[in-house]
Amino acid sequence: MQFPQTLTLSHTMAVMRLKGEASKLVLSYLWWVIEPLLYVAVFYLVFEKLLLRGGEDFLVFLMVGKIPFLWFSKSINAGANALLAGKGVMGQRDFPKHIFPYSVVLEASYKQVVVFLLLFVWLFTQGYSLSQACLWLPLLILSNLSLILSGSMLAALLVVYLQDLRVVISMGTLFLMFASGIFWDVRSIADPEVQQLILTFNPLAFLLDAYRQILMHQTSPDISYLLVLTFLSLVLLGLVHWVYARQSQYIAYKVLS
Amino acid sequence: MAERDWAISADKLSLTFNAGPIWDRHQYQVLKQISFAVKKGETFGVMGRNGCGKSSLLRILAGVIKQSSGSLRFNNIGSRSLLALGLGFNNDLSGRDNALLSLMLQGEEKAEAKEMLEDIQDFSGLGEHFELPVRTYSSGMRSRLGFAVGVTANTDLLLIDETLSVGDQHFKDKAEQVMLEKLNGEQTVIFVSHNSQQVNKLCEHAIWIEQGVIQAGGEAKIVAKEYQRFMRDIK
Repeated sequence: MQFPQTLTLSHTMAVMRLKGEASKLVLSYLWWVIEPLLYVAVFYLVFEKLLLRGGEDFLVFLMVGKIPFLWFSKSINAGANALLAGKGVMGQRDFPKHIFPYSVVLEASYKQVVVFLLLFVWLFTQGYSLSQACLWLPLLILSNLSLILSGSMLAALLVVYLQDLRVVISMGTLFLMFASGIFWDVRSIADPEVQQLILTFNPLAFLLDAYRQILMHQTSPDISYLLVLTFLSLVLLGLVHWVYARQSQYIAYKVLS
Repeated sequence: MAERDWAISADKLSLTFNAGPIWDRHQYQVLKQISFAVKKGETFGVMGRNGCGKSSLLRILAGVIKQSSGSLRFNNIGSRSLLALGLGFNNDLSGRDNALLSLMLQGEEKAEAKEMLEDIQDFSGLGEHFELPVRTYSSGMRSRLGFAVGVTANTDLLLIDETLSVGDQHFKDKAEQVMLEKLNGEQTVIFVSHNSQQVNKLCEHAIWIEQGVIQAGGEAKIVAKEYQRFMRDIK
């Protein structure tokens, strides 16, 4: 099976899963939007209303951070399970195993397109205007996607080798939720060194901050960092692909035994 | 066997699994030194009780997993596909969508796969149910769908796991008919069953596996008899 064919297959699998999921739910496709909004609502209630810790424009701040984060965390957690969930078909023939994490990431990304569009429209109605900085948005989203894709591929592979890691991965995404400045602003950290440390070594914190810089403050993010991050993610993706290709039958063996 | 006549040659195939936590790791051998040869275009039988290792052997032959030791050679066999009892279907999707995915996983292009769907619907006899989610299917309907996909796809080697044992009599007859047609056709088929009569009916040659070891091999008629005697004795 050639690579373009595996992409078509991943896409078809993703679309069908979306269709299958929607067919079971009363609110069907509306959940794509309701779910992220519920997350935002819970955070808003706790931080703005109960703890009174929100601050100016907290709802916008929260949405612009939480919505891209959900794309990441849902993809990684579903990705961690992607190969194991493919057990049924994996037992029948040998094919490139990367289609499983790919289809999981595509599935989350298709939902994300809709949610992003609504977010942009909503921001516009809130008086946030388009600026030149928005031109960097495609690069930012591409960078985010490459991080998600390589992360999901890696997570799926690791869990196949050691199922115990599934717990660690889900703890890891929870940790990242606290450490990436979703309900607090990385830029509010008083010590500039600590601030820089987080923005450098936690790519997710950088990405979420970049979304805010572009969408809320009409400022361009650090482009060189963005390019390096994209490049490194793609290198990681290439490496993981290499392992997938070499270990295809071993992956099936681990999943089936 | 002449060079152009053989399709599969297995030599001393063994398969070992590891299990247990790190402080109590143990190995168990599923297959031990399995050797046999299959002719081109033949329907070859594999008999044995549940848990004897026949499904693992099928997986090795399908290229899903690799044997731990021994060699496996194929002659002019490109695509291989294992047909098991409606496994691997997504319950939320319709029979049509599942069939499409199965065909694509077997390497068919999407457009080609779509063209095959009408044949699959026909052969499966599912009628309107073809458009309903697979979760609404009975086990017989699932296996009919699986079998229809398996026989419609273009594979050089078809591996069938117990499929004929499920489904109503009408479908069973239809499936056996197709198998008999394939017996005389180009496609090489490996048929796995615990039912010796079926193997006897459909296959020319067969092996019988018990606890991962070949107990008998050769003409299906003779192997089936030995297997039947064994099964009678342990009852």
